[in-house]
Amino acid sequence: MKELRIEASQYTPQISMDAQKGIIEIAGKSYPENTFEFYKPVIEWLEEYFINPQQDTAVNMEIVYFNSSSSKLFFDFFDILEENQDKTKITINWIYDKENESAKEAGEEFQEDFESLEMNLQEKTKI
Amino acid sequence: MVSFEELESLLQEDNIIFLTYGGTFTQSLIAGMTGVLEKEVEEAELSMKVSNNIFVVFIELAQNVMNYSKKVRKDQVFDPKGLIFVGKKEEKYFVCSQNIISKDDKQKIEPRLQAIQNATNEEIKKLYKDIRRSGKESHEKGGGLGLLEIAKKAQGIEYKFQDLQDDKFYYKICVTI
Repeated sequence: MKELRIEASQYTPQISMDAQKGIIEIAGKSYPENTFEFYKPVIEWLEEYFINPQQDTAVNMEIVYFNSSSSKLFFDFFDILEENQDKTKITINWIYDKENESAKEAGEEFQEDFESLEMNLQEKTKI
Repeated sequence: MVSFEELESLLQEDNIIFLTYGGTFTQSLIAGMTGVLEKEVEEAELSMKVSNNIFVVFIELAQNVMNYSKKVRKDQVFDPKGLIFVGKKEEKYFVCSQNIISKDDKQKIEPRLQAIQNATNEEIKKLYKDIRRSGKESHEKGGGLGLLEIAKKAQGIEYKFQDLQDDKFYYKICVTI
């Protein structure tokens, strides 16, 4: 399965989805004009990946800030992960800057909504 | 809280208005303006929380005007242009926007705004999560999620509908962060 890579723009995150390694990474800001269209390849990749996933799947998300339609999209994204967690062991790391309280709160709210998913809130350590 | 009556005088005091734009809204303009705001708050040394709240409120209001104008252009009913500005008053930041909406949409938005104004933070959070959970297919319009996103970040929301005749209204909203 082909790796999906989307470079970051001023209003969309960098995305990399590697089926061989079972690693999904989304990092940056998210406020596309048409959120559903923008994330369509991500959702399609996920659906294909879960036909034959790796034993372990790691999802690293580091979203600095996002608009409400991205919030909805991430909800649906986690929903797909939740539906497929019997096929692969999924670990989600929601990464945020220590100072970024809103990002931390957003992670906590997703944790509350997806109690069955293993979602770690991870404070980013400065190098 | 900024009242609409003060806007004119506010706009004349350029030291506290960071950004103002009136016209047709596009995504690249919104991204550009967000970039300007990022620079602005960097210089003001604001906390990341306040900064991000300003960006998100700005983006929600601006994209709302943009999305509405797309809808309006399709129908060719009335002027799709909008107005937005970001400023600071008594150490508090605010974002205000204005655009023209139909009577039907006023009737949809007004009760939502009233509900938000009467809700506690906990209630807003719950409402936000409920709406986000529901309607899996309703990505485009967000079903009022945008206003709740704003409410989560806001210290105060003021709004006003001004009758323009022919079932049209100015929708003015000011959000204090």
